[in-house]
Amino acid sequence: MKHIRLIARLDVKGPNLVKGVRLDGLRALGSPDSFAEFYYKNNIDEIFYQDVVASLYDRNNIFDIVRKTTKKIFVPITISGGLRNLTDINKALESGADKIALNTAAIKNPELINQAASKFGSSTIIISIECIKHGEKYLAYTDNGREFTGKEVINWAKEVQSRGAGEILITSIDNDGTGNGFDNVLIKKISNIISIPIIAHGGAGKKEHFIQAINFGANALAVASMFHYNALLNKKKNNLVLNKNNLEGNYDYIKKKLSYKNFGKESILSIKKYLRNYKIKMR
Amino acid sequence: MIKVFYNLPKKVIFCKLCVMSNQRPSSIPEFKHTKNRKNAKYLHLDENNVCDACKQAKIKEKIDWKKREEELIRLLDKYRSSDGSYDCLVPGSGGKDSIFQSHILKYKYRMNPLTCTWPPIIYTDYGYENFKNWIELGGFDNITYKQNGKVMKLLTKLAIKNLLHPFQTFILGQKNLAPKIANKFNINLIFYGENEAEYGNPIADNLKSIRDKSFYVYKSLDEIYISGLKVQEILEKYPFVKKSDILTYLPLQEEEYELKDLQVHYLGYYLKWIPQETYYYAAENCDFKARPYRTQGTYNKYSSIDDKIDDLHFYTQYIKYGLGRCSYDSSQEVRNKHLNRVEAKALVKKFDGEFPDKYINEVLDFIDMKKEEFYNLCNKFRSPHLWKKTGKGYKLRHTVNQDGTDD
Repeated sequence: MKHIRLIARLDVKGPNLVKGVRLDGLRALGSPDSFAEFYYKNNIDEIFYQDVVASLYDRNNIFDIVRKTTKKIFVPITISGGLRNLTDINKALESGADKIALNTAAIKNPELINQAASKFGSSTIIISIECIKHGEKYLAYTDNGREFTGKEVINWAKEVQSRGAGEILITSIDNDGTGNGFDNVLIKKISNIISIPIIAHGGAGKKEHFIQAINFGANALAVASMFHYNALLNKKKNNLVLNKNNLEGNYDYIKKKLSYKNFGKESILSIKKYLRNYKIKMR
Repeated sequence: MIKVFYNLPKKVIFCKLCVMSNQRPSSIPEFKHTKNRKNAKYLHLDENNVCDACKQAKIKEKIDWKKREEELIRLLDKYRSSDGSYDCLVPGSGGKDSIFQSHILKYKYRMNPLTCTWPPIIYTDYGYENFKNWIELGGFDNITYKQNGKVMKLLTKLAIKNLLHPFQTFILGQKNLAPKIANKFNINLIFYGENEAEYGNPIADNLKSIRDKSFYVYKSLDEIYISGLKVQEILEKYPFVKKSDILTYLPLQEEEYELKDLQVHYLGYYLKWIPQETYYYAAENCDFKARPYRTQGTYNKYSSIDDKIDDLHFYTQYIKYGLGRCSYDSSQEVRNKHLNRVEAKALVKKFDGEFPDKYINEVLDFIDMKKEEFYNLCNKFRSPHLWKKTGKGYKLRHTVNQDGTDD
């Protein structure tokens, strides 16, 4: 069995790390690079940066944050959000990213996957698929879960593999931000038909969810809310920069010192320890 | 001279802080809504082009919320029941705000709320799911007042024909039901969520916690309009409609009201109201789910999603006042600092006035109207000072992005 990876997913909007529920209602939580640094020090395997509004505004300003991050962090970094063509991908890689992820652009122009894979190598290209369950079917969305495409997820996953994608990040919009667990049925359906690594995302709430998703076929687990809200329990000690005087962003959560009850109090280290008990190989 | 409908301000001016304009209607009691909107008021902008809603947002930043909460607790202590009866009423449909109101009153402040629901005209399936979860996971007693469908259909159709106002029957029911239910159950306290003033009613309104009784009490039938018609006209024209069918839509009568100590409060006066945070609260406590795709005409997925006719309602606002759903949503988020104005303008450019084709067939089938007829109707309701007919159809004369035909 290959190593299982834990990935911290950082959704970014403007200067802020943000997090929603089911990809909507974005709370601002602080300065993204301070969180990335904290996760790095706590043994995270990879960092995944998502510019959540890049497609919405046709802009891209995540590169500066990545540039800052790469000076202090030495694990693979992925950039996602608003990358439209080979030039954008090139820029993202030049800013210090090791991999890039495509969603909206790949659905609009699937040929881009072939071009990107042949130019930059499959191992650099992740295809991100955002899914909502409709009855028994899963359908793909773009623009951070906003735009309905009607594309059926399982066939789309097969197609992106054949076009040369190196990995698939599969987001369950239904479970995102809820702490109710990953969508294991979805993970199983995809792992049954494809051979490239699957990054499961959306729903992590307690350590048991991780082993379940791995058993259903996930090769890596991307986690946002659970890591962020736990990191925030010790803002000072964890050296998190909160930015709460920023002129934009919903910082009410931070200011009111609220807590979010749906997430277990686990650290990256304690999850890794827990998984090792199940003979899961980890870095 | 270009003609101006609805008593709107002649000159279109946009607020310099948000993306609203002075064409945004202030609330009026819905049962006094006439076709020419003779006494209607619109969003006030000061000499620096700052709107009342943005000023209100500034005031809100300085409020001592600790003190306001103490005020709330005093009010609740006065009315809290210990004999097993209900002590407050929360009207709602299972959206994020009604979930927040009822849940926090019951579980944090230990009240005994009854909830009541005026159901949407046509439920969305996820809206109905949220309603069920509110009652079943949240744990509330609920009275749902299912209306006479035949009459509602007629009134909704007439409201569209006469006022281009597809949502009127819903608004009437939603606003007027609660005081009547409270009256029946001897409940003294009713809680609504936010004060409409946050979105642009005259500022003075917002200094009070109590809703003005002119919004839910009436003196005589003569002053009432439904679907743009006098009650008597409806009864004469449509013999199958009985007075009892109509009373459902009307507020409490003043005589009934006078006998009781009935108070209608805004919880938003006492507790800081951030729409996005009520979304979190609802998701966390009642498994509230956002719409499974972007709402047409705007960019978000979580507000006003339970009625299929609601998207059309916002579209008609765009026709009548030049302000679509995205203008409303993004202005609110600018005031709450979730967005900046540059982003809001980009969003308005992208989404405002997008035609809600997702449910349009179903809605028009429901009221039995042809698409063609509806489009023609829309054109009749476009105020000439807002819209210019061009070779490519109607275009706004003025937009917040200053790309209108007359900008």
